[in-house]
Amino acid sequence: MGNIPLELFGKTLKNPVMNASGTLGYGKEIEPLWGVETLGCYVTKGLSMKPHHGNPLPRIWEEKCGMINSIGLQNIGIERFFREYFPFFKRKKTPVIVNFFGFTEDEYIGCAEMIKPDKQIVALEMNLSCPNIKKGGIGFGKEAETVYEIVKNVKTVTKIPLLAKLTPEVKNIVEIAVAAFEAGVDGLTLINTIPAAVVDVNKRTVPIKGGLSGPIARSVALRAVYECSKAVPIPIIGVGGIMDVRDALAFLMAGAQAVQVGTATFLDPYTIPKIIMELREYLDVNNYADVKNIIGITHDQ
Amino acid sequence: MVDTEAQIIENKNIVLDYFLLKLKLAKTMGKIMPGQFIMLKIPGNEVFLRRPFSIYDYDKDILTVMYKVVGKGTEILSKTSKDNSAFVLGPLGNGFRVNKRDVYLTVAGGIGIAGIHFLIKTLKEKASVFFGCSSNIETTLLKDITHLNPMISTLDGSYGYKGNVVEMLTNYLETVENVDQELFICGPEGMLKSLKASINKSKISCQALVEERMACGLGLCFGCVKKTIDENEPYKRVCKEGPVFDLWEISL
Ligand SMILES: Cc1cc2nc3c(=O)[nH]c(=O)nc-3n(C[C@H](O)[C@H](O)[C@H](O)COP(=O)(O)OP(=O)(O)OC[C@H]3O[C@@H](n4cnc5c(N)ncnc54)[C@H](O)[C@@H]3O)c2cc1C
Ligand SMILES: Cc1cc2nc3c(=O)[nH]c(=O)nc-3n(C[C@H](O)[C@H](O)[C@H](O)COP(=O)(O)O)c2cc1C
Ligand code: FES
Repeated sequence: MGNIPLELFGKTLKNPVMNASGTLGYGKEIEPLWGVETLGCYVTKGLSMKPHHGNPLPRIWEEKCGMINSIGLQNIGIERFFREYFPFFKRKKTPVIVNFFGFTEDEYIGCAEMIKPDKQIVALEMNLSCPNIKKGGIGFGKEAETVYEIVKNVKTVTKIPLLAKLTPEVKNIVEIAVAAFEAGVDGLTLINTIPAAVVDVNKRTVPIKGGLSGPIARSVALRAVYECSKAVPIPIIGVGGIMDVRDALAFLMAGAQAVQVGTATFLDPYTIPKIIMELREYLDVNNYADVKNIIGITHDQ
Repeated sequence: MVDTEAQIIENKNIVLDYFLLKLKLAKTMGKIMPGQFIMLKIPGNEVFLRRPFSIYDYDKDILTVMYKVVGKGTEILSKTSKDNSAFVLGPLGNGFRVNKRDVYLTVAGGIGIAGIHFLIKTLKEKASVFFGCSSNIETTLLKDITHLNPMISTLDGSYGYKGNVVEMLTNYLETVENVDQELFICGPEGMLKSLKASINKSKISCQALVEERMACGLGLCFGCVKKTIDENEPYKRVCKEGPVFDLWEISL
């Protein structure tokens, strides 16, 4: 059997497959079907310093080959997550990446300070797609200088490895990746949802503006992974439209060290365990002793 | 709970836009509570997300759904033929809790009957059935529960009480005082709102089955929330904490 464990920031993950933040609830919800210990690593729903109630309805809309969501980052806050859910991941010996966000730079820093190092925590994943209230709603992740500054400041308050999760809504994502790298980030998660809107032709309204995910986002995400993994020497986690093992392989071959699966779980709740199993089969059939051997293989062309 | 392949063994137009879909499941779902639902993968590639439907009836591996054509997915479903396969995830959510009472009043508006039918079937003769619809044509939907003598209201007055089901029910409630009773209701939001406005919270408890657009049906995405009066958690998931809520705890 091909080897699929992965070394990430000094921790060993069983396999390189994770859920995407915000698409596997608080983890326990999937238990009636399969357990979180199946994952290489569980990624938390986006957490904030205080509980956040999220957006009014509608929060989801269907598109051809994808969906738009406007959940608005509803979450119970860092404190309650660590009290009510973290012990469950400890018990199940499942590594965790903590996704967090803020609406001001101080809130980002506050979150990073609140999360104490623990051998089960692999990394913090900062969601840089939030609107910056002070700057009138412009996303934190859109300007290289802002990204540089916020990463640098968050790095000073935490010893836990830091991942920056970037938005694709930028002029040049490589430039943003380089800024994050120069500020000392330990890895990147690419990409967050793509800003999108819906028009209801019957009602002549725009019922929802939100983030696009699913297969429709895949080629955008693949390009980001491919270009950024050539530009910066830090681990990249690929996410966006991964529906099956072929999609996961494409991200690994494009240069991702690990992949995250989001929307696919809504269509088939067994997508993640299937991808893990089939990834192992693929390595076997193709005589790869280690998953490392296919990571970034397209770069050698 | 299972996610299982299913064979369509019947997909019949009952009346107007209402259909009855019978599915043979490859794996049984186990025990279910009335009011629980499934997420159904509509065959074909045009519909991206699954769609939620109440469990209308269930026996071992045969699951029945009653649905109304309202949009793209249900339109495609209505044209799907026998022997097609589909995927069924369920049973999902929290259904109706049957507390010990002397009288159970079940109330449905239109396709709301699909959500409450299995409860009626479980309660048998103990259920009083109130059904509201547009005209006498829809009374066909009650075919297998006519022995329970349902009270029917039609908006056009072509059968039973002329008016809406909430008026008919409140008229009825005025005639019965001091009875240990509980209400179970499923219907459009407007109906729940007017019921809430016309009955007395301290006198009657009421469980309502509510609907919302869903992506996962499992509590993973937080897309299907309903506003509640709980200040700490004003948005609760319909698929996980619901779809049955205490009528007095949700904001409509
Ligand atoms: C817990 C639950 C149980 C349900 N049980 C049944 C049932 O037993 N029988 C049945 O016919 N329907 C039921 N529904 C509603 C059913 O899910 C929708 O009618 C269906 O998803 C519409 O799909 P569509 O592709 O045809 O419509 P779309 O093309 O997606 O939308 C068309 C129209 O349908 C409305 N709509 C979309 N989703 C919903 C929804 N979830 N609820 C109500 N209206 C919606 C929209 O407002 C829109 O105007 C239930 C919903 C929930 C949440
Ligand atoms: C319902 C939903 C909720 C999400 N919540 C978050 C979140 O809290 N934090 C975050 O960084 N990304 C969030 N995302 C983005 C996903 O993590 C992921 O980047 C995106 O959906 C693309 O992957 P996919 O196509 O596999 O879904 C969310 C996506 C969805 C669909
Ligand atoms: S539909 Fe995803 S949480 Fe309810």
